[in-house]
Amino acid sequence: MSSRMDTIWSKLDRKSTAIAEFTMRQYRTRISTWVVMIAATVALFLMLLFYIEAMNSEIEAIDNDGDSFDTDGDGYPDGQERLEGTNPDSDASFPSWVEPDPPEKWINEDDIDWDGLSEGENYVGQDDDGDCTSQDTTSQKDTNDNGLECDIIVNIDTVNETIYIDADNYVDEDPDEEKYGKEAGHRAFILGIGKFGIVYLLGIFLPLFLATGLIREEMSDGTIHYMLAKPIARGEVLLYRMLGYLGITWPFIIGLCVTLCLITGFTGPGDGFFRWSDIGVWMSIAWAAMMVSLVYGTIFCGFGIIWKNGVILAIIFAAWELGMAFVAILSGGDSSIRYMSVIGWGMIIVDAGVAISWPDNWFLIETGLWGGGHGEENWLGEINYAPLPGAEPLSAFSGNPNLGVSNWIAFVISTGVLVMQGVAAWFIGQSIFKGKEVD
Amino acid sequence: MSEDTPFEPVESKEESFGAETPVTGQTKMQAAWSGSDDEKSSAQVAQSQQGQIFEQIYQPWTGTLNPRWMRNWAILRHHILGIFKTGHRPWNIPTKLFIFFVIIASMTDVAMALLFGMIGEPTLYDIWGVNRDNLYGHVMGFFPRNILYYPIVAALLVGGMISEDRAHGTSALYFSRPINRFDYASMKFLAVGLILFFIINGTLAVYYFVDILVMGKGWAWIIDTFPMFLSAFICGIILSFTYTSIGLALSSISRGRFFPAIGLVAILMGTRAMASIIDALFDKSVLYVISPYDAVAHVCQALIGTEMTYDHPWVWSLISVVVINGLALYLLASRVSSLEVTRE
Amino acid sequence: MMPDVTQHGTTQTQEWQPVANTPVIMFDRVSKSYGRINALGGVSLGISGGVTGILGMNGAGKSTLFKLMMGKIKPSSGAIKLFGTDPWKNPAPYSRVGFVPEHEKLYDWMTAFDFITTFARLHGMTRDEAETEAKRVLSFVSLSDVMHKKIGQFSKGMRQRVKIAHALVNDPELIILDEPLQGCDPLARTTIMNVIKELGAMGRTVLVSSHILHEIERITEQIVILHRGRILALGNSHAIREMLDQHPHKILLECEKPRELAKSIIKIEEVTGMSFAVPEKLLIETKHLGEVHKKLPETIVNSGLKVTAIDNPDDDLQSILMYLTGGML
Repeated sequence: MSSRMDTIWSKLDRKSTAIAEFTMRQYRTRISTWVVMIAATVALFLMLLFYIEAMNSEIEAIDNDGDSFDTDGDGYPDGQERLEGTNPDSDASFPSWVEPDPPEKWINEDDIDWDGLSEGENYVGQDDDGDCTSQDTTSQKDTNDNGLECDIIVNIDTVNETIYIDADNYVDEDPDEEKYGKEAGHRAFILGIGKFGIVYLLGIFLPLFLATGLIREEMSDGTIHYMLAKPIARGEVLLYRMLGYLGITWPFIIGLCVTLCLITGFTGPGDGFFRWSDIGVWMSIAWAAMMVSLVYGTIFCGFGIIWKNGVILAIIFAAWELGMAFVAILSGGDSSIRYMSVIGWGMIIVDAGVAISWPDNWFLIETGLWGGGHGEENWLGEINYAPLPGAEPLSAFSGNPNLGVSNWIAFVISTGVLVMQGVAAWFIGQSIFKGKEVD
Repeated sequence: MSEDTPFEPVESKEESFGAETPVTGQTKMQAAWSGSDDEKSSAQVAQSQQGQIFEQIYQPWTGTLNPRWMRNWAILRHHILGIFKTGHRPWNIPTKLFIFFVIIASMTDVAMALLFGMIGEPTLYDIWGVNRDNLYGHVMGFFPRNILYYPIVAALLVGGMISEDRAHGTSALYFSRPINRFDYASMKFLAVGLILFFIINGTLAVYYFVDILVMGKGWAWIIDTFPMFLSAFICGIILSFTYTSIGLALSSISRGRFFPAIGLVAILMGTRAMASIIDALFDKSVLYVISPYDAVAHVCQALIGTEMTYDHPWVWSLISVVVINGLALYLLASRVSSLEVTRE
Repeated sequence: MMPDVTQHGTTQTQEWQPVANTPVIMFDRVSKSYGRINALGGVSLGISGGVTGILGMNGAGKSTLFKLMMGKIKPSSGAIKLFGTDPWKNPAPYSRVGFVPEHEKLYDWMTAFDFITTFARLHGMTRDEAETEAKRVLSFVSLSDVMHKKIGQFSKGMRQRVKIAHALVNDPELIILDEPLQGCDPLARTTIMNVIKELGAMGRTVLVSSHILHEIERITEQIVILHRGRILALGNSHAIREMLDQHPHKILLECEKPRELAKSIIKIEEVTGMSFAVPEKLLIETKHLGEVHKKLPETIVNSGLKVTAIDNPDDDLQSILMYLTGGML
């Protein structure tokens, strides 16, 4: 035979395809693989039902500033009286020269128009209904004293990472809940299901089920002897088995993400027939889930090699990662302990992808949390703004890469860190495997 | 086969010597002649017309069988006593250690209540002492009890309960004895359930009664709180029953110890995580009915009378608990009754 | 390439070169202990060419010996050389080795052909080469007609042959078979024995382990007897057999009329003595066990008497061991 080979770590293409193909076929014959994948799909689609229901039901319009109410009972809503310059609190004073508006006209009449904010420019806002520009004096029109009438000051404080909003009276004061809530709800769903459902839950449970026994089950069955009696290093066996595992999990993750992207892209709110800007977010979610499942898979497979009850270690590790997932998602990128985890870096990938695909996302959140500037005043004189529907979930599930670099570089760095974690796990795993006596 | 010639001569075909060949005595004959150096002798045996060299005589067993409960009791104590001493089911060391840890850890409230009760800090004692919320929290508290303690104990216990019997063929040890499958499954169920019950309700009882004894509570207080304790106790039973039935169902459908353990944790955590995402996004709590933990927790909130944290009616959760347990028990029963007594 | 500080053998990346004039397998005072149990104690052994039978009772250290050869476990002391290299942590020499493990578990969901093809590709063969080789080895163990059936449907003997075929796929110079005859019926046994004999005739080095002396004797004359982790005897089986033949064997027959049966059995010339120790039982003594076993069935059938059981009270290997250890078993 001319093709006999005497060294290991050579002819990798032939050996890797052989083991990877073999591993994938082995997965295919196991019922548990199908059970896990079907259960994951069913779970995600169950959540999708709630999303579709929410997208197809109307969000109740709220009169945020209360100007559709006719305080003095003269038939004219407060907003109209203010616009026409009469006193809304006196039934003797009303604009008799116009017909009274129906109250609905003064609901959602002054939407937030902050789309045009660019770097360095922080005066935004537009008085859609004209109740600010119709004020009498300049000081009434410019309550925030920036020299511009009927605008809003938006100051971004990069040191404390807060946004300061100071609006002139009656500007953007009654936003459209339906428009905002659909958009925010849509994004919050993508981020919630993407970060928690796909990157964390799929990313950790697929490896738990599929990778923990990758080597260990062969060892306890005794079938590992066939593989180890071949001129191929144990590190190679581990690597190629992992390839086979990825050959099953990655297409599954990609398939799920593509399906969800298509469904939400067509159902979601927006002017076009498809939400093209979501594609980037879904790509980053899929990529993060793929990288995370790679790292977890290698780690869990290593646990299986170390100890026959490796699943205990794996579950403890998964609990740690669950904690880190909460920290990484709910802190919005403010905690540094997340760097000590796998999931934290996966979330940075998603956050960077979001920042690239939806550059206005953080702005949308702040807008929604401000919600027109109405709310109850506390004893310090600060106003607790009443947020618009969807703003709080979106804020909870959004984050900031916070690496101090541009989003693209954050994307690359976090991917690199995950790859390094995977390589390190593989290296440790193969060193232990190499020194393991296999009975 | 006719009665006077029980052992038909077997054709000497290759397939007939497989593992599925009926025991005829032929192979044994041939093995006895394996000293000769060719197939000639085995061919002779195959052609032997008498075919009656071996005679099998079965003698009926004439001993007395112990009653059924006594046999079942033997299975039950085999599993439970394995936790404490050797010579019974060999639970692995990590499982024993973890159970020990959980028993200690779930008695933190006892220690805290005792501490602040003894040193006389009434405000701190009020936080840790026995009251409606704390009794609920001892059984149903999510973090850490129902994420780190009880589900993990259940996962470790059910891990190899039935699945390893399937993988190693050790179920034959049971089924070759006068034990039926229902007894086998129910004793395994009872063993896991009882260990969980001792951990959850045992520590609950310690918590309650230590408070009475040490703090010298009067009858009025006992009459006030005993119904709460009783409902918390019932909740503990429902909780351990639910975890056990899901876990054993998973154990019965799989081989090895990885799948059932991970499966139980995945079901408990996964459904809860899903429901909480939906709750956070769309402010709808109804998906919690698919989460076994939340369904039980909701029923317990209704039973103990603490503040409800779910928006849907608790009857839905009650139905869900019944359905989840029913499905799991059905799965367990159908799998155990069709279990092949072999090394699979 | 991975650095390996504890590497014992040659570096894995170098082109592996067989060292001239060394035995295929060299054991130099090798010991292996698991905790306090000594599985192998100071075994020195060199084997090249031919079929060698490793004999020993259960727990004698046969499997430990093979596992050491295959680098599955690490020797506690001593040196092992497989084609001149240390096999521990160094799988390079396995390209010239075929190993048949004793484990019965196989990938039941694969066809025999797929199984062998997949594992042939681990030798660095292309898919086509692997398929050609798989067909070759499957016809060598005469499984060509069932090669596209799932292994799960195979009988024990067929499974053993699949394992042997899988080990032969790289045309190895050294073939190690751990209990290949265990649990096989006589026909499969004969096929496997023929395969092993043929391999020996092809000039390969073959190692076969067993605990039944007659099986090994049908394959090879060169045997190594292991007992309690030590080599008790090694060499030609005829020499060992000579010693054994001085030692009388016993065969126990269970029958209705032992005295009548004795009349016909006494005609077998190799039978040296008979006794009726227990009622309905006949004890035959002989120094030529094989011959007697050959003639016994015919004699019994001709006598027309009912024999309910035939038993060798002293197992061959046990009697050899008894002899070799001077009764200190």
